Amino acid sequence: MTDMEIVRARGITKRYPRSAHALDGVDLGIMQGDRFVLLGPNGAGKSTLIRILTSLSRADGGECRVCGLDPERDQRNLMEQIGVVTQENDLDPHATPKELLQFQGRLFGMSRSASAIRAQDLIALLDLGDHAGKRVKELSGGNKRKLHCALALVHRPRLLFLDEPTVGMDPEVRSRFWESIRRINREEQTTLVLTTQYLDEAERHADQLALLQNGRITFRGTPTEFARPFRGTRSDADNETTGRASLEAQYLAYLKEETHAAG
Amino acid sequence: MLLVSRAILRMLRRPVALLAGLGMSLFFLAVYSAGIGGVDFLPQFGGGGYLAFLLPMSLVSLAMGSAAGAGQSLHDDMASGYFRRLYLSPVRRWTFVAAPISADAAATALGSLGILVAGLLFGVPLRFGLLSVAGLLVLSILWGVTLSALSAGVMVRTGSPDGARIVTSAVFPLIFLSTTFMPRELITARWLRAASWANPVTYLLEGMRFLLAGTAPVEFFLLGLGLTAAAAAAALVFALTGTRRILV
Repeated sequence: MTDMEIVRARGITKRYPRSAHALDGVDLGIMQGDRFVLLGPNGAGKSTLIRILTSLSRADGGECRVCGLDPERDQRNLMEQIGVVTQENDLDPHATPKELLQFQGRLFGMSRSASAIRAQDLIALLDLGDHAGKRVKELSGGNKRKLHCALALVHRPRLLFLDEPTVGMDPEVRSRFWESIRRINREEQTTLVLTTQYLDEAERHADQLALLQNGRITFRGTPTEFARPFRGTRSDADNETTGRASLEAQYLAYLKEETHAAG
Repeated sequence: MLLVSRAILRMLRRPVALLAGLGMSLFFLAVYSAGIGGVDFLPQFGGGGYLAFLLPMSLVSLAMGSAAGAGQSLHDDMASGYFRRLYLSPVRRWTFVAAPISADAAATALGSLGILVAGLLFGVPLRFGLLSVAGLLVLSILWGVTLSALSAGVMVRTGSPDGARIVTSAVFPLIFLSTTFMPRELITARWLRAASWANPVTYLLEGMRFLLAGTAPVEFFLLGLGLTAAAAAAALVFALTGTRRILV
């Protein structure tokens, strides 16, 4: 693990009962400060990999270090270094956003006043001001998602995992959400590792991306490298003119190639 | 303490279950006392009368009502996913289960105090004054912790909200196979008398009676205290070791 590498995984395998390999020898290195996107179709193993890196699940084989710590053995220390936004909204429906954020701060050892200030800052950052006193069960899907992200940020983690964070958000909320997340990455030097199925998000917000298919990493590089012609299917000129469509085309070409190889 | 405060706050936000349990226990006390209270004159009830004899039943049934809280609270957090959020914090995992059990214990203590005050208002004697109050609270809390921890343990192992119901259903017959309504000498069926000897709830009830009107010997109090403390300890081990099996 290099000094700047905040996530390092080698040969990670995971198999669920009565199914094929969810992860089949995944190697991954993520540098500090990166905005790293894990792309892949449903069932590719993205969430499984995130769960292993965040200690929610155990790998069957391989080894990984997150912030220099073993997720299985140093779970409590790791929690102080990372923030996790899972696919589900892990929220207490009877509490208010303000209460939840303050309580989260206290769980991480912050004083009452420090957690109140931090809660206020995050409410402002994620534009939840009008909803801070409502019960969670009264919030819209998009606001619940934002609150979920805010909870993961309370203790100023070095590394933030976001598993499909924008699912259920309308385009305007998505756009504002990404603005906030980029600001956190920039201002608090938080490394971002996220999974998404939205290619436009990967293209706009990632400095590095990896494609996970059938439990294996089949591409690793920048979004620009990803959008380059795949096995001569299209010309450079096409790529320059078609923009986002090229990324989409490349994504589909990768999926097709993998399906073909697997078949 | 933070998680215990949260568990208590959650309970206070939904006071219906808490008040319903207390109300039901007081109701049973009033109804049974009015219905069977004519046996007051029998020497087996000592100077305290039938109300003092029956009061431990109210304390035991109140704890059974309060014990549902921990399992339900854990289930709510698991169903909403908030348990995962707690799991992703640097807090020791056993505290997630210990917190709602502690909140249940606090509810049991408060409710028991309410029943004792009601009893005192109607002339129930306290053989050792405040020491009796302390002893009764200790026995009630230990019994409450036993049931609460069992329901939490079943919940974390099965993920089913039926944990509390399973425990209550399993324990409920023990109340009737005991000296709940009549002293042992007045139980006519031999099999029921035998069952009451083998039933640990009998010693809990008799232990409480030792502290109230003194109708039971001190040995029963000591046995009741020892058995309930051992049961509470075993139930806590069962619940807290279950935290390792929680699926998030």
